[in-house]
Amino acid sequence: MILLFLTSGLFLGWSLGANDASNVFGSAVGSRMVSFRKAAFIASVFVILGAVIQGAGAAGTLGKLGAVNAVGGSFTVALTAAVTVYLMTKFALPVSTTQAIVGAIIGWNLFTGNQTDGRAMTQIVTTWISGPIIGALFAIILYMVVKTIKKNSSLHLIRFESYIRKGLIIVGAFGAYSLGANNIANVMGVFIPAFNLQELNLGLFTLSSAQQLFLLGGLAIAAGILTYSKKVMETIGSNIVELSSEAALVVVLAQALVLFIFSSSFLSNSFVRIGLPPIPMVPVSSSQVVIGSVIGIGLYKGARNINFRILGEISAGWIATPILSGLLAFISLFFVKNIFGIDVGRKTELIKETTIQPISVTTADPNISNIMQYLILGLLVAGAVAVLYYYFLERKKKLEFQKSEEKFWKNIK
Amino acid sequence: MALFKRTTKDLILKIDEFFDNVDIGLLVFREGVKAYLEKDMEAFDRHIRKVELLESNADKLQRSIENEMITHSILPQHRGEVSTLIDVLDEIIDTAKSTLNEFSNEMPEIPSSLNHNFLSIMEASVNAGEELIPAARAYFKSPYTVREKLLKVYYFESETDKISRSATRFIFQEMKELDLAHKSHLRYIISHIEKISDNAQKAADLLSAMAIKIVM
Repeated sequence: MILLFLTSGLFLGWSLGANDASNVFGSAVGSRMVSFRKAAFIASVFVILGAVIQGAGAAGTLGKLGAVNAVGGSFTVALTAAVTVYLMTKFALPVSTTQAIVGAIIGWNLFTGNQTDGRAMTQIVTTWISGPIIGALFAIILYMVVKTIKKNSSLHLIRFESYIRKGLIIVGAFGAYSLGANNIANVMGVFIPAFNLQELNLGLFTLSSAQQLFLLGGLAIAAGILTYSKKVMETIGSNIVELSSEAALVVVLAQALVLFIFSSSFLSNSFVRIGLPPIPMVPVSSSQVVIGSVIGIGLYKGARNINFRILGEISAGWIATPILSGLLAFISLFFVKNIFGIDVGRKTELIKETTIQPISVTTADPNISNIMQYLILGLLVAGAVAVLYYYFLERKKKLEFQKSEEKFWKNIK
Repeated sequence: MALFKRTTKDLILKIDEFFDNVDIGLLVFREGVKAYLEKDMEAFDRHIRKVELLESNADKLQRSIENEMITHSILPQHRGEVSTLIDVLDEIIDTAKSTLNEFSNEMPEIPSSLNHNFLSIMEASVNAGEELIPAARAYFKSPYTVREKLLKVYYFESETDKISRSATRFIFQEMKELDLAHKSHLRYIISHIEKISDNAQKAADLLSAMAIKIVM
């Protein structure tokens, strides 16, 4: 039963994979610089790596905002966020998973009478505004660098494009890693305080309770990428395709850097060490950073091309998403608690600045941990099988193509 | 990746070889016309065979370049334009071959008083084609310089037009001794030689737009 509650988070992860992977590889796939299969494979692997290795930072800030301390509550919060994303997408309104989950957490705080941490809230909202602005600044600087290299290097156009293609793959992998590191908090953040699993030893390394949840969330995001992102990538790609290939590379790199900055504890600690204020570890909307980066390039080229209506729509999305999600969460929690009689959480003391309350409704139950262990191992084996299948499929395709090529040129001669 | 690296290098070499074929084809065409006007038929036949070989090689390279660009998804944003450019350049060497073949099949009788006019038209037309090749190569390596290189193409194309117009007027108005069929035949040959510079201009227009797109 307790694992069933995770499904809403997995659903949210799936929709994040289906929608947000397009921010990383959309321009590369849409412009046919990289095949969808290759992009989906790379994105899936690196999203999982990012989530497991570096997902804790941004999840911590969401935990400060509101530590949802009952699995029923976590389930409802994640579900309302997912429903908000679905509804906003259905009505073609710009939506961010990050804002949906933050709104839902605040809805939970209001319902359970918990106080929302003003400092965490300020950090999060400031990052929503600064994320796209930093994205735009990075994009301008990177675009100037790439343009200068292109102008002065006298590289053959085909070789330059081949470097761009490799760059798109490398930067895309980095972007997927950053997306996993930064946005896994949206998917699994609300479940962390509610789950306390035994450590999972995989031989080479050990996964903590949170990392096991992040791995599951990462796998859900990967499933979203593999099953549903093709259409979104092609649509987004064809919208961005007006950008040149180097501009596409710059946009993806700028976005990856912003997401990385807001999820790297190492970078934040380095800032503190040299006397600068720490970087807030906050989940940022990748879509909005991408739009910020595209606008940055537009500004560099001359502001005439910029559609200021889009800016208005983004601002409307910033306000509408958390409000809608918060309201939905409040109403849903009421129904879940009073009609289904499920515990959705309780009031706790105000969470201190630096610590996350280790409140957990599940103890380190060996049964749940065992199920989790088998689930994760099963999914990893399935993933390995899928990788092998992909490899042999690609190999077969390549051989068939080679044969047909040889036949064609033999006939021509 | 190793496979892709080889493809990139191969494709760059093939494009360069294609440009070489067109460039040398124009040189051979120039020598072929000169040999015909000097009535050196042995050299003329040798030049025809050479230009036919170059044209057939250019055709093969064209097919191979387009094939590789599609199958390896190279230059997805510029592929259509690059293919069109190669197609127009191929038309130049096709015209060179077909014009020499017309000389060979129809054996036009060119009065010696017109030798100079024919040479001038041919020189200007071939120059337009030859000036196009560095511009086409520059598109791939330094697109910022393409437009300045194209100025010479436009200059030689307009020169070709001027010279051929005055030669045609001379043939029809001054050379009363020639019958109409002969005059028409000479004009037909002139318009064929002119086609090289016309195609060069067509390619120059295309290159000019392509260069702007890539530089922006």
